[in-house]
Amino acid sequence: MPDPYVVRPDSKFLGRLLAEGGEDAKKCFQCATCSVVCDVSDGGPAFPRKEMIWTQWGLKDRLMADPDVWLCHRCNDCSTHCPRGARPGDVMAAVRREHIFHYAFPGFLARWLNQPKLLPLMLLIPTVLLGLAFLAKDSVQSALSMSTYSTTRIIYSYSVWFPQWLLIGFFLLFSGLALLAVLIGVGRFWGALKAADARDGAGKPIKSLFASIGSTFKKILAHESFTKCTTEHRQFLPHLYIFYGFFALFLVSLWTMTAKYNPLIPGTFVYPFSFFSPWRMLANIGGLALLVGCLMMMWARLGGVSGEDKRTNSQSTYFDWAFITTLLLVTLTGFASEVLHYARLEPHRHLVYFIHLVLVLTLLMYLPYSKFAHMMYRTAAMVYADYTGRTGVAPAVVAAPAIAAPVSDGTAVDAPVADEPAAEESAAEAPASEEPASVPGEEK
Amino acid sequence: MDNTEKKLAVWICKGCDIGESLDVEALEKVASDEYKVELVSSHEFLCGDEGVGQIKEQIKEGANTLVIAGCSPRFQTDTFTFDGCLTERVNLREFVVWSHEPNAEDTQMMGEDYLRMGIVRAQKSELPEPFEAEIDKTVLVVGGGHSGMTAALESAKAGYEVVLVEKEDQLGGWLTKTTRLFPKTPPYREAEIVDLEARVKEIEDNDRITIYTSSTIEKIDGQPGQFDVSLKANGNGAGQQFRAGAIVQATGWKPYDASKLGHLGYGTCANVITNVQMEEMASAGEIKRPSDGKPAKNIVFVQCAGSRDKEHLPYCSAVCCRVSLKQALWARELDPDAQAFVLYKDIRAPGQYEDYYKRAQEDPGIFFTKGEVVSVKEASGNDLVVDVEDTLIDKHIQVEADLVVLATGMVPNAADGEAIRKFRDAQGVVAKGEEGAQLETAKVTIEEMAEYEGTEILNLDYRQGPDLPMLKYDFPDSHFICFPYESRRTGIYPTGAMRAPNDMDTCREDATGAAIKAIQCMELASQGKAMHPRWGDQSYPDFFLQRCTQCKRCTEECPFGTINEDEKGTPAPNITRCRRCGICLGACPERIISFKDYSVEIISSMIKAVEVPDEWDEKPRLLGFVCENDAYPALDAAGFKRLQHSEWIRFIPVRCLGSINVVWIADALAQGFDGILLIGCKSGDDYQCHFIRGSELMGTRSGNIQEKLKQLALEDERVQVEQLEIMDHEKLVEVVNAFSEEIDDIGMNPFKGL
Repeated sequence: MPDPYVVRPDSKFLGRLLAEGGEDAKKCFQCATCSVVCDVSDGGPAFPRKEMIWTQWGLKDRLMADPDVWLCHRCNDCSTHCPRGARPGDVMAAVRREHIFHYAFPGFLARWLNQPKLLPLMLLIPTVLLGLAFLAKDSVQSALSMSTYSTTRIIYSYSVWFPQWLLIGFFLLFSGLALLAVLIGVGRFWGALKAADARDGAGKPIKSLFASIGSTFKKILAHESFTKCTTEHRQFLPHLYIFYGFFALFLVSLWTMTAKYNPLIPGTFVYPFSFFSPWRMLANIGGLALLVGCLMMMWARLGGVSGEDKRTNSQSTYFDWAFITTLLLVTLTGFASEVLHYARLEPHRHLVYFIHLVLVLTLLMYLPYSKFAHMMYRTAAMVYADYTGRTGVAPAVVAAPAIAAPVSDGTAVDAPVADEPAAEESAAEAPASEEPASVPGEEK
Repeated sequence: MDNTEKKLAVWICKGCDIGESLDVEALEKVASDEYKVELVSSHEFLCGDEGVGQIKEQIKEGANTLVIAGCSPRFQTDTFTFDGCLTERVNLREFVVWSHEPNAEDTQMMGEDYLRMGIVRAQKSELPEPFEAEIDKTVLVVGGGHSGMTAALESAKAGYEVVLVEKEDQLGGWLTKTTRLFPKTPPYREAEIVDLEARVKEIEDNDRITIYTSSTIEKIDGQPGQFDVSLKANGNGAGQQFRAGAIVQATGWKPYDASKLGHLGYGTCANVITNVQMEEMASAGEIKRPSDGKPAKNIVFVQCAGSRDKEHLPYCSAVCCRVSLKQALWARELDPDAQAFVLYKDIRAPGQYEDYYKRAQEDPGIFFTKGEVVSVKEASGNDLVVDVEDTLIDKHIQVEADLVVLATGMVPNAADGEAIRKFRDAQGVVAKGEEGAQLETAKVTIEEMAEYEGTEILNLDYRQGPDLPMLKYDFPDSHFICFPYESRRTGIYPTGAMRAPNDMDTCREDATGAAIKAIQCMELASQGKAMHPRWGDQSYPDFFLQRCTQCKRCTEECPFGTINEDEKGTPAPNITRCRRCGICLGACPERIISFKDYSVEIISSMIKAVEVPDEWDEKPRLLGFVCENDAYPALDAAGFKRLQHSEWIRFIPVRCLGSINVVWIADALAQGFDGILLIGCKSGDDYQCHFIRGSELMGTRSGNIQEKLKQLALEDERVQVEQLEIMDHEKLVEVVNAFSEEIDDIGMNPFKGL
C-alpha cells in the first residue's frame, strides 16, 4: 500500500500553466469525457482527465513525472468534446512545455527562450556565433591547415564564404552539445518517471528495452498514433510530411558531410550537386514536404477552414509558434538560397544563405529548450510506456486479483501493477490468440 | 329538506356510445316502473345547450333531485351542477359502455344496476348545508426569520391582518448572523449583502402586522377560523390573547450537532469549526484560527459533514455546498494569500447556480476534489491533516490545513406532536394513580421519551398532540406526493427550512405559498367549505352522540386531529379542521357518524338496490369499493382506453377506503354478493393516500373482516383489499378480472337468496 500522497499546490507553477495554455483549465469539472474520447489513451492510465485536476491543483511533482502528457499526440479530440470548454488539449501542451523547461540543461536557456521580448537576444546569439566563426575562418583555416576549394573551380557555390569544413565542424559541435544537453534532460526525465512508478510499486519492465525502442520506432515511422485520433486526421499528413521531409534533408546533409571521405561517391566530388542528381532531388522533395507540412500545420493552428477545422477551440502559444515558424523560415530560406544560387544574385544569395544558416543553428542549438525537444521526450515517453506496459493494459480495477493472462504458449505476463489485472491483450506481449478477450476473473 | 319534498328527475344521455350499446328504453323503465319516478327522459347529447336547457326546464317546474346517467362524474361537473339541486351522477360511459360488450345481456344488467344505485342514492341524500361559524381572518405567523417575515408580509399585502410571533428579541432569524448570502439573481457570480434593516422596517411599517418579539406560544385552542392564541407571560407579548384564522409555522432550523462528528476532529482539534462558526468569522471580517488567533492560510472545507450519512443526517441540506462556495470566495477576498480546498461528495449547485460554481472554480486559489474524508487529525501543533480517499487526484491523499470547516446540515425546529402526546398521556396515567400493567408501561414510556419534554412549539389543544405530526427525518408531515403545501393539520402550514432544508430563495417562494394556503383555508372555512382534496365540499360529519359508546376510534383514527374529547372520552369534533374524508364514519362501530350525502344508510341502500341473480343463473355478483382519489380515476382511464373488465362487478365510489364501514361488507354478503374488492391508494412510507392513512386503516380493519368471514364459514378470499396508484389503470383491470376468476373458482356465496 503506497503512502498517502500529500498534496502541496505549487502556486507559481500553477500560475504559469494558467497563463499560457491553461487559461480555461479551472473550468474542468472532471467529467472525464476527454479521457473517454481520447483514442490514444487506450487501456492504460487514462488521460487527460487526471492531468487536468493535477493542473488545477498545481501538482508539479505529479505532472513532471507523468509520461502520459507525451503519449498525447495533440489531436484535440478532447478539447472538441469538452463540455466546459476547458481545453484539455492545450493544457497538455502547456504541461509538455513545462517538462521541457523543467528538465532542460541548463534550465535558464529554456525560460529565456520562452519570453517573446528576449527573442532578439535569442536570435542574436547564433548570429554572433556564426558570424564570429566565419570572420575567424581564415585564421582557423590556416591554423588547422584546411584547404578550401579555389574560387576558380566552383565559383557559384557558397563554399568560399562558408567553407564546408567550417560548417561541418561548427554544426557538429553545436549539434553535439545540444544532443548532449537534451540527453541529459531526457535522462532526468526517465529517472523521474522511474522514481514515481517505484513509489507506487509500479513500472516494472515487461520486456527488453531494445524491444521497446524497436516497437516505438516502428510506431513513429508509421505515424500510428496519429491515425488513431478521429477529429484530427489532418494532423497525420502534416506531421508525416514534416517528419519525412526533415528526415530526407537530414539524410542528404549527412551524405554531403561525408562526401569527401565517402567511398560511394565516385570521382571528384562536385558540390553543390547538380539539380537532377538523386540527392539533390531528394533534398528538394524533402524541402517541399517540409514546406507543405509547415504550412498545413500553421493553417490548422490559425483555425483552418471555418466550420471544418476542429482546432478552433484551441489556442496556440508563443512556444508553439516559435518552433513552427523557425522551421518554416528554415525551409523558405533554404529554397531561397537555392533559387538565388541559380539566379547568381550577389550578394543577396550569401546574405540569404547566412540567414538560413543562422536559422538552422537556432533550430539545432535550441533543440533541448524549444518545442523541438518533443522529438526526444515523446520518443522517450513512448519507449517508457511500452517498456513498463503502461499502454495496452486493461484499466486498473481496485482490488481485482492479478491473474496471469490466459495465454496458451505459457508466456506469463508479469502484471506490472499489483491491482491491475493482467491483460485482456497486452499490446506487444500477448500473442494474437484465437480466444476473445477474456474478462479478468474468468476461468480459462 | 326531507325525502317527501324531493322531486326526482332521471336523465339518460345517449351520447358517447351509450345509446348504441344499451337499451335505453329498458333503463327508463327501471326508473319509472321500479322507482316510480315521474320525470324520466333521455337525450342524444345531454351536456349540450339543448339537453341542459331541458333539464333547466324541469327544474323550473319543481324538479330538485337529478339523476344524470351518462359520463363519469369527473367530467362535465359544472355543466350538471344546478343551484339548489342535488345531482347524482351515474357512470354509464366509462364503467359500463366503454368497458363491456355492447348490447349484451350482462352489460344491460350492469347498466340497470348502476341506475338503481344512483336513484337510491339520490333518494337518500340531502343537499349539504354549509357549516356556519364566525371565522376570523387573521394569519398567525410563528417565527420571524426569513420565511416568517415573507409569509407575514405577503399575507398583509394580500389584505389580511397578521400577528407575527418571534422568540428572539429581534426579527431576522439567521439573517442576523451573517452579512452575506450567496446570490439569488443572475448572473449568480457575486454574493449579496444582507440588508436586514430594510426588511424589518417594511414589516414594522405595515399597519396590518402586529409583532411580538421575545415571545412564544402558551396555548392555541380551537380550529381554523377560530384559533384562540395565548402568548407566554414572559416576553414582549406578555399574556397577549387574540384570535387567528390560520397559522403559518416558520420556526426555521438549527445546525446539526457537530459534537457528534468526532471523527472529523470537531471537539478534539481546536481548529476544526462548523460552517456556522465560519460564517460568523467571515461576517466579522477576519478568518482566524481559534487556537492562536492567527489568520488562516489553508482552509479545508469538508462537505457533507454528517450529511447523507446513515449514522447522522441521512438527507442533503441543500445549501451547504453553495454556502461553502460563498465562504471560499469570501475567504479569498478577505485574504488573497489564503487558499481554500473544497472536499466534496458532489457539488450541489442546482439550476442556474452552476454559474456560481463556475465562478468559484475560476479562482486559482480554490481547489476542488471529490473524495471521502476519512479523518481530520492534528499534525504538528494545532495544524491539521485531512485524509481523503477515492479522490480524483489519487486513491488516498492528505491535505494540510490550518483551519477545517465542516459543512454541517440543517435540523428543523419542529416538535413531534404525536410523540409529545404519547409522553403526556403516559404522564397522565402516572398522575391519575393507575395501577398494574398500565402503570409499568407508562413509566417505561416516560423514560424512553423523556427527550420530548418541553419541546412543544405551537401547544395546540388537540387530542392528537400539541404540534404537527412528523414524517421523514423529523420534518413535519405533508402530502408531499399530492400536494406538498398541505400539512396534516388543516389551517396550519409549515414553511421554510422547518418544512424542508432549502435556500432562501426557495424558502421565500415556500413562505408565499404557505401564506396563500392560510388565506385559502380561512376563506373556504368562512363559506363552510372543505380544503384539499375535497375542495369546496360543504358536507360535514354529523355525530349522533346519544348513541356514542366512547370507544374513541374516531378520535384516534382521524388523520387530521379533528376530534377532541371531553373527560369522559366523548368526541368533540371541530368541523373546520375536518377534510370530510369519512374515516371516522368507517371507524365507528355504532355507526353514529354521517354526512348529508354520504352515510352508512346511503351506501347500504345502494348495496341492497343491486339485483343479485340467484345461484342457478350462474352469474356471480362482485362489489367493488373504489376510493375517489386514485381508484376511481384509474377506472375512468381504463374505460377511456376501452380496457374491458368483468361484467359481474358493481363499483361503489367511496371518499376513502378508510371511510368504509364494516357493516357494508356484512350487508353485501347478506345481499348475496360473492366477492368484495376494496381498491384504494398506496399506503406506507411513500404513501399516496390523499387522506394519509385511509388505505392503511382498511388494511388493519380487514383483519377483523377476515375473522368475521371465518365465523360465517366463508372463504377469506371473498374480501380483498388492493392498493394501487392513479396511473395503474391497466393493473386495475387485471386485478378486477383476476378477482372475478378467483371468485368464480370458489363458487357462489352460500347466503345468496336467503
